[in-house]
Amino acid sequence: MTAPREPMDAVMAFLEPAFRRVDPLAGDAAIAGEVAAHVTGNSRLTPAEQVDIYRRQYWLRHLDALADDYPGVAHLVGEEAFDVFLRAYLVAYPPRHKSLRDLGCDIVTFGDGYAFADDVQAAAREMLAYEHAFIDLFDGAEPPPLDPQKLTSIPEDAWERARVVIHPLLVHRRVRFPVHRLRLAAKDSDAAPRTEPPALAPANLVLYRDDNLIRFEELDGTAFALLDALARGEALGPACEQVAATLDAAAAEQLGAQVGPWFQQWTARRWIVDVVV
Amino acid sequence: MSTKPPARLGLPDLGVGVGMRIPHYADLLDGPEPARMDWLEIISENFMLPGGLPRYNLGRALSRYQLVQHGVSLSIGATEALDLEYLRKLKALIGETKTPWVSDHLCWTGAHGVNLHDLLPLPYTEEAVKHVAARARQVQDILGVRLLLENVSSYLTYTSSTMTEWEFLTAIADEADVGLLLDCNNIYVSSFNHGFDPRDFVDGVPHARVAQIHLAGHTNYGKYIIDTHSAPVIDPVWQLYRQAIERCGPVSTLIEWDDDIPPFAELCAEAEKARVIRDEVARDRAA
Repeated sequence: MTAPREPMDAVMAFLEPAFRRVDPLAGDAAIAGEVAAHVTGNSRLTPAEQVDIYRRQYWLRHLDALADDYPGVAHLVGEEAFDVFLRAYLVAYPPRHKSLRDLGCDIVTFGDGYAFADDVQAAAREMLAYEHAFIDLFDGAEPPPLDPQKLTSIPEDAWERARVVIHPLLVHRRVRFPVHRLRLAAKDSDAAPRTEPPALAPANLVLYRDDNLIRFEELDGTAFALLDALARGEALGPACEQVAATLDAAAAEQLGAQVGPWFQQWTARRWIVDVVV
Repeated sequence: MSTKPPARLGLPDLGVGVGMRIPHYADLLDGPEPARMDWLEIISENFMLPGGLPRYNLGRALSRYQLVQHGVSLSIGATEALDLEYLRKLKALIGETKTPWVSDHLCWTGAHGVNLHDLLPLPYTEEAVKHVAARARQVQDILGVRLLLENVSSYLTYTSSTMTEWEFLTAIADEADVGLLLDCNNIYVSSFNHGFDPRDFVDGVPHARVAQIHLAGHTNYGKYIIDTHSAPVIDPVWQLYRQAIERCGPVSTLIEWDDDIPPFAELCAEAEKARVIRDEVARDRAA
């Protein structure tokens, strides 16, 4: 065999950026000579047209993958504006992970600095963060379930200082727009396209995995505040005190009676995975 | 190689299988009995995950079927260092599935830290043979199971190539002592796109190293064909398959269908066609 006429590195150095160019190579006279130095072409296609096959597939593949992950954003901003947004994202953050699962790893950061239309700007950014949370939740590791025996063995007076461990995949966040309901609407193939900007509808959302399905739940403000304190690692007693301090006297009085049922409910939903004394 | 390796490198002939894809999970995993399928191929990367639904379904599939791992991210031809973390996860999955071999594509998928998520052809040069063979040998040693490299569909050829694709494939397989996953549809697609006789490809590879065969459909755009896995296998590809089985003997065969996925019964009918050809060739060889 003859010696190589061109190092592999030179081929890859030229083609890697060419494959993800925004504009076609075919018809670009400035680059035609360089393409022909690397790629043969054939009787039906020029070298640039051959490279463009891969370039088109690059965009189709990555736009499709992102569209699958962020249907709610598309619903909010409209398909055309969504396509422009995704293309801008892929230019700013070319794919660098092996799995398409991680294609959107920088999309929330990018969206925070991206100018969506004024009437959907805030909702789109909130939706982007909400939908991004689904990715880790879908295939994250499941911790061992809470051991009921352990609960019964905790002395009554130890609960005050007990640390209630929240499921590491559980996502809880306050939203200003009803992103959870808008996303459901977006995934409904019979849904009409959105015509009005989304109205404010603040909610305290919990996103969690149950029997391998992702579910959401809205909590009232007090329950959400307690869950948030526990998730930050506060012990049960101090967490309750922190929440009570934000309530009026009557509501603070009721808190003690509410904690038990919440604890049972959250345990049943596997939001609580351990109690450490 | 001074001695000829045994048929299929000594790996088993598993019969005919299909790719395990989500639209067919109900048919494959939910019924009271396993589907009539000799084995299933899984995309390794879809299950190299810590938990959730993919892992749950993997467990169900393992309880019913022989699974074989096929990857899309190894990037054996890249000039960047091998991704040892990826190989660690791949090896962990191999430990779970007990796959008799692991396959991936003879390609590069990216450069300079960018992953294009495509199966990009390599220049067919002596430099590339040495580079890929050294990496393939290293990967096979790390994984502890036989590595099969698959010929890809390609839509361009390089000015720097100095040999045919089948000479390239053969040189790497012999130098690295790895197996081959012969994709008959990819041979057909590339032969159309680059103007060679696909039968020369099938005749030209080292038959004893072929341990698996892929079959699939494609999309013909007139001036070129794309390997879309979105249609039935066409007759010329079935003919290449027959030729491959005649040369290689019975080899584990898999139908791939990844886009416009049909009802499971239609996929089974494609698998049955492969079974019929295998049986006919076996009868002819016995006669």
